[in-house]
Amino acid sequence: MLLEVRGLDVRYGRTHAVRSVDLDLAEGEIVTVLGANGAGKTSLLRALQGAVRAADGSIRFAGEDLTHASPADRVRRGMMLVPEGRQIFVSMTVHENLMMGAYLRSDGDWMRDLKEVYDRFPNLAERRDMKASVLSGGEQQMLAIGRALVSRPRLIMLDEPSLGLSPLFVNNLFELIRELNRGGISILLVEQNTAMALETASRGYVLELGRVVLADTAEALAGDPALAAAYLGGHAAAPAAIQTL
Amino acid sequence: MLLLQQLLNGVMLGSVYVTVAVAFTLTIGVLNFLNFTIPTLFMLSGMGAWALTKWGLPLVHTPPFPWPMALLFAIVVTICASLVVERFTFRYMKTKYGDATEHAIPLVSSLGFLLIIENLMRIGYGTEAQRIAAFDWDNTITVGGLFLRVPQLVSLLLALLLVAGLNWVLKHSRIGRGLRAIAENPDAANILGVDSRRLVPVIFTLTGVLCGLAGILFAINYGEVSPTMGEDIGSKAIAGMVIGGLGSIWGAVLGGLIIGIAEMLTIHFFGADTVQVAVWGLLLIALFVRPQGLLGHHSIGKGKL
Repeated sequence: MLLEVRGLDVRYGRTHAVRSVDLDLAEGEIVTVLGANGAGKTSLLRALQGAVRAADGSIRFAGEDLTHASPADRVRRGMMLVPEGRQIFVSMTVHENLMMGAYLRSDGDWMRDLKEVYDRFPNLAERRDMKASVLSGGEQQMLAIGRALVSRPRLIMLDEPSLGLSPLFVNNLFELIRELNRGGISILLVEQNTAMALETASRGYVLELGRVVLADTAEALAGDPALAAAYLGGHAAAPAAIQTL
Repeated sequence: MLLLQQLLNGVMLGSVYVTVAVAFTLTIGVLNFLNFTIPTLFMLSGMGAWALTKWGLPLVHTPPFPWPMALLFAIVVTICASLVVERFTFRYMKTKYGDATEHAIPLVSSLGFLLIIENLMRIGYGTEAQRIAAFDWDNTITVGGLFLRVPQLVSLLLALLLVAGLNWVLKHSRIGRGLRAIAENPDAANILGVDSRRLVPVIFTLTGVLCGLAGILFAINYGEVSPTMGEDIGSKAIAGMVIGGLGSIWGAVLGGLIIGIAEMLTIHFFGADTVQVAVWGLLLIALFVRPQGLLGHHSIGKGKL
């Protein structure tokens, strides 16, 4: 297993955001984490990257225990989070944003990775020296993913990457995710767009109030009425909710 | 001609404000923290230089230092003091409560440091202003009928050089990018592996360098230091920083020079008693007309480096 999470707990003061979560991700896999707003998905990803402390449980990555490691140590070992809302640096240029992805790279090869990002996203290459604030929503998402790629990650964790994007761009985004995966990068995908996420991933976990309530293959989850129920907070699935799946 | 001389004097005086204003701007821009110890660090450097040339190190009774060594040592002491302040105000809050910037406590504890260091100086060396004998040489040159004091000229050039260097580092180096990332979005910076525990001391070291330099330049220029020398400079540097634009380094340079010139012109036309009225009046007018400051961007306090 590339990523092994056991009994992970995250608390903010009295709020118990993530409760005893077990999660596995094999090298080369795309795994999705689904759930309603406030189910603890973002807290889970932030705990995996070390942005919030795990109150309990363990996180192993590539055989190493990283439960108490700093975000920097996790980045060095190949974990990279693309946070919710992209979180690019709008006061910096496109190029400087991409260089932030290489902040911890001490090998000389990061220039090559940066060039690959430009080859992959010609729009970013054209806007290289412009402030990131002038980019469209879709371009900002490319920049956030490009910034992650420059760190040469083994695992990319994407938090709601399709949020606020046009339907056309959402299709491109999921195609990109599959393409990155074919290139050897493992993906942990948190999404509201359940249908697209289950189409892309091989397995999925469903969170409800911080707990894993379902864990199965993507096909099985797509046909499971309990998934819709999880989105409605445990009540019977309403027809409208099933339609959106 | 006299007016021109006063303008020139204003620029020279402004160079001290510039250095201190840039120190304020750095901590505000990156850490969103108004570091009240800055005027004290400035005083510590000036008084330190004087005490070392006159008495040598306290407690261990060394002989008096020759002045170049005293100046260098004063800057080192100031940097160390700045790092102590970091350790006990900013880092303490950060490790104990997660985020220091959201609390007023570092602000208050830095104010505490200001008062403690200032009063220790008073206890140790008395409250009177002290002349530094080592700097009592004639250091004036005349250019086209205008008097130029060499140390002032040197301090102006040094200040500008230091600021230009700082600006370059922030724009083009890895550390600079890390600092700007923390300034704009500490959370995103953290996720990318920018370790603020390593970078925040860099800010406080730079603060120490700037204040140390400003303190000894002031001592050389005026040949006189006192435990209260930081108070006036500190408030005027803050005024300059705000006029120039919060968070903009070149804004701090411009604002510091404007305050220096305004001060000299006020003395020229209305006498020394009106200086405070003029400086703070200018600040209030500037805030009415252009609240974001001359070179500041966006809304107040958001324009970061």
